Amino acid sequence: MIDWSAFLVVAAAALVSSAVVVSLYSLGLRLLTTAGRIPTVEPAEFTGAITVLSPARAAKDAKRARKARKANPLTHTQKRVAQNAGYLCFALCGLIVLYGVYLIVPALHQ
Amino acid sequence: MDFTLIVALVIALALIFDFTNGFHDTANAMATPIATGAMKPKVAVGVAAVLNLVGAFLSTEVAKTVSGGIIKEGDGGIQISPEMIFAGLIGAIVWNLITWLRGLPSSSSHALFGGLIGATIIGVGAQAVAFDVVLAKVILPALIAPITVGIVAYLATRLAYAITRRDAGKPDGRGGFRYAQIFSSSLVALSHGTNDAQKTMGVITLTLIAGGYQAVGSGPQFWVVACCALAIAIGTYTGGWRIILTMGRGLTEIKPAQGFAAETSTAATILASSHLGFALSTTQVASGSVIGSGLGRRGSTVRWGMAGQIALGWLLTLPASAIMGAFAAGLALLGPIGILLDVVIGTVVVYVLFQWSKRDSVSHDNLHDIDDAGHVVKIKKTPRKPSRKDRAKVAL
Repeated sequence: MIDWSAFLVVAAAALVSSAVVVSLYSLGLRLLTTAGRIPTVEPAEFTGAITVLSPARAAKDAKRARKARKANPLTHTQKRVAQNAGYLCFALCGLIVLYGVYLIVPALHQ
Repeated sequence: MDFTLIVALVIALALIFDFTNGFHDTANAMATPIATGAMKPKVAVGVAAVLNLVGAFLSTEVAKTVSGGIIKEGDGGIQISPEMIFAGLIGAIVWNLITWLRGLPSSSSHALFGGLIGATIIGVGAQAVAFDVVLAKVILPALIAPITVGIVAYLATRLAYAITRRDAGKPDGRGGFRYAQIFSSSLVALSHGTNDAQKTMGVITLTLIAGGYQAVGSGPQFWVVACCALAIAIGTYTGGWRIILTMGRGLTEIKPAQGFAAETSTAATILASSHLGFALSTTQVASGSVIGSGLGRRGSTVRWGMAGQIALGWLLTLPASAIMGAFAAGLALLGPIGILLDVVIGTVVVYVLFQWSKRDSVSHDNLHDIDDAGHVVKIKKTPRKPSRKDRAKVAL
């Protein structure tokens, strides 16, 4: 009656897919950062949980990002490669998410 | 009492339940992006509402499972009457409102199942409830899912931090996770629509089948799908700000990387289980992943007191709504007068709860006040700059 294998399948599928998606996106961020294009995304609204990023801190971050871009040891080509690899990671990540949407819409695969 | 009137009453109540389900569960998808500032609160609930609406149209798989699972119905089993569904819905709505008032992210699905089970036990007898199905499809997943997703979210958070880790002092670009959060939380909202709106559709379809308005074994009709989609979308847009507060800040302090990891784990788990036909509680999955991601970041703390309170809420949900459903069913057995009494008592209780909520109302407006207060508090920034001693250690 109790289908233990189904639990296992759900757990494994969730683990693998979220690990892959999170890794890909993180890798993309890492590559962009390496390429010197550090994404400094300011929070849309300052809610209590994000006091770590006060406006002063955000400005400081942006300044540090500019500085890091200047002091990047990579050559121009290396930067380009890292940056494009980063975008590739984001694209792959997006494709996986789209596949997830495809899976929940029965009309698409029946 | 006219049979069609009771069917109409049930449909109305089911839509009200769908509405409470919507605002109870906004937090599942949108608490984390609001907490990290990935989206403005109003924008976030708007996006969630639209995606719930879309999601409700996308798939009706879960609806079919609900309309023929927990309560034995159809030719061979015992017929469940619209009165019992009516009583069960009252129990579910009241419990949803009570937990919302306390700001507890409890499972709307459990409230619904509990109410229906309670009503059935009183109205028909305990033998009409498929307890083995309840154990296999409701209770066990409720125990296993939050733990599993917690582990997944923990690992995902560790991964996200490990991959983006750089030398202390250098910018790590983790703010970029805010962009990702917009998508991952949207995916959670969409999967919520494909999952939770279905439960109400299932109930309405069950009523229509029981009333002989629809063939046994057929899926939900289009107007049912449309009404349910609209009800859950409006409910979502109204936003359960109390629960958003609990989920976004009460459990642990959330940063973008954690929020992204938690949302991805939530979405992956819900999608995988929907695909395999499990009716998981979105709320429990979302809470589990928030706690998991809280454990995954170094230096963050999980407020276990609050987590315990939420877990207690989960334990109580099924029996409490079952008792309320049973009480309502007992009244409904008296006939038309009983049903009328049910409606009156239900309305009074809902009214009292809403009045109660006004005493300390939480909305997107005064989320702000609290934020301003939070601005003043300085939080130790991570990654911490290494002290001279640490650097000396590395040099050795």
